[in-house]
Amino acid sequence: MSDREEHRTPVSLSGLSENDPHLLPLAKNPKTVEGVIAVNFLLGTLLTAGFGACYWINAKPWTLGATLGGGLFFFGVGLVAWGKYLMPRGPFVEERHTLANSEAERDAFAAAIVERGGNVMKRRKMLGGILAGGLGIFGVVAMFPVLRSLGPLPKGTLFHTDWRKGSYVVDQTGRRVSAGDLAVGSIMTVFPEGTQNTDRGQAVDQTVLIRVSNQGFTTQKGRESWTPLGYVAYSKLCTHLGCPVGLYEQQLQLLVCPCHQSMFNVNNGAVPQFGPAPRPLPQLPLYIDSAGYLRAQADYNQPVGPGFWERA
Amino acid sequence: MGLTSLFARRVARSTVAGLFVLAPGALFLCSAHAANYNPTQTSRRNAGTPNSSIVIKNKAGTVVEYGNQYITYSAPPSKLIGLGEALFMENCASCHGTQADGIPANGTVGAYPDLVGLGPATIDFWVVSGRMPSANPRVVEAARRQPRLTPNQALAIAAWVNSLAPSYPLVPNPNLANANVSDGAALFALNCASCHTIEGDGDALASSTFSPSLRNIPAFQVVEAIRTGPANMPRFTGNLSDQQVLDVTKYVTTEIQHPNNPGGFGLGGLGPVAEGFVGLLLGVGVLVLVCYWIGERS
Repeated sequence: MSDREEHRTPVSLSGLSENDPHLLPLAKNPKTVEGVIAVNFLLGTLLTAGFGACYWINAKPWTLGATLGGGLFFFGVGLVAWGKYLMPRGPFVEERHTLANSEAERDAFAAAIVERGGNVMKRRKMLGGILAGGLGIFGVVAMFPVLRSLGPLPKGTLFHTDWRKGSYVVDQTGRRVSAGDLAVGSIMTVFPEGTQNTDRGQAVDQTVLIRVSNQGFTTQKGRESWTPLGYVAYSKLCTHLGCPVGLYEQQLQLLVCPCHQSMFNVNNGAVPQFGPAPRPLPQLPLYIDSAGYLRAQADYNQPVGPGFWERA
Repeated sequence: MGLTSLFARRVARSTVAGLFVLAPGALFLCSAHAANYNPTQTSRRNAGTPNSSIVIKNKAGTVVEYGNQYITYSAPPSKLIGLGEALFMENCASCHGTQADGIPANGTVGAYPDLVGLGPATIDFWVVSGRMPSANPRVVEAARRQPRLTPNQALAIAAWVNSLAPSYPLVPNPNLANANVSDGAALFALNCASCHTIEGDGDALASSTFSPSLRNIPAFQVVEAIRTGPANMPRFTGNLSDQQVLDVTKYVTTEIQHPNNPGGFGLGGLGPVAEGFVGLLLGVGVLVLVCYWIGERS
């Protein structure tokens, strides 16, 4: 058996002689290693002191991070190297005693709990009853926030937006949009007048207004009067999960939803031509009044946004 | 004979009017719905006449400059027209045709964009941003690259094309001192971030198109892009005032192009996923190596 293999055998620390190979350091040149570790510790000390100085003069945050992090790093390297290369190389073993109690001790303990504990509980029936009742009520009350978080029933609000017959089309600042505002290939997000600053307006009523070229645009049956001067308006809520469909590609005539890449064909009634959206974006009927402002002919003729249980 | 060819060209032009496929190769020429033609609608041609506080006309009555304290738009100098024609014949005519009408010598109609009436800002933007002359006319979307032509040559080409049918917008010159960067941030979030991302890095879009990064674009080109809507970008005309366009431009050229990254590296602004990935790769990788060193037996 060679000398080296003997060292690899774990031994018990208690029975070793002072010059046993297990007690020697791993390093061949302990003096050199000691020097390297000393340099590490010195660097750590310097950087830690530097951290203090940086803190004192209120230096930039990155200097604080760099000095403290660097200091701890060098201390760590030194400590690990000390442990690895200068401490006795081992390996050592220490046998662990059995953790479990003996069978007899465990049986006696269980018997004591059953006997004494049972008697104690029987003596305090009233307290037990009150506690059980209280915990029961607590359980019921704890359900309140769970049920409340389901919110009020939406009732009809899912079926209608705030667009009405004659609603003025306004931008996010409330400015009314007139017929000359958009050039072909332009897009803007619009709201029915009065809702542009409300949560509901921004969540439900938001609509994209696009001016399309007459070339390539297909008017849908029954929607002949909905797009005056090429102004076409679709709900901005994706019919998949309600994300804002804000990416307009004016050459491809696509509205793209940023969440799941549903693509709606602007030229053809916003029919989804790619992606998970199940329905076209609802189209808002528009007209231009005698003063030249864009207004809605009516509300959307169907619920906007994603599907829900009662949606026909 | 001349009359017949002129008539043929008229017919050809009317069928492609409005179908400005600015990026060559993006061909979606479905004009099968001519029955829905509504004469009151307009095409992309001619973005509109100036409606500004300053309007300067030359002796012939042509508007050479218009604008306000936020942005002034000026026509390319007419003395560049001759140079522009020569440059156009050399660099552009092989695809866009010698009349800039998108009909090259072999008579292919509709494959390349008709440039007449698009306005000097459009022509200038495509050339000065290096997208034109195109490295590969078949790609779906021309990408920004080192410009082949100098800014003055780009202006010259814009001057010549505009001389064929004068139109707007002219070449903008934003006055960034009058901008409000905080309003610009809000307008950017509403109008630009959906495609260019909130960090302005750009992203992939439908059908092999993409929105370019905004990290290295001069202010006047930002205005040109907003006002003319290059490629698949929508145009912003009456829905953004010159003041609002200037605000967005200021935001892009300051906060977007010189972001304050407290951590040192922006990582492309790709968000927590990118940052987490780098943290995982570098941090955990280094930790594993350190642990291996600590635990390694002799």
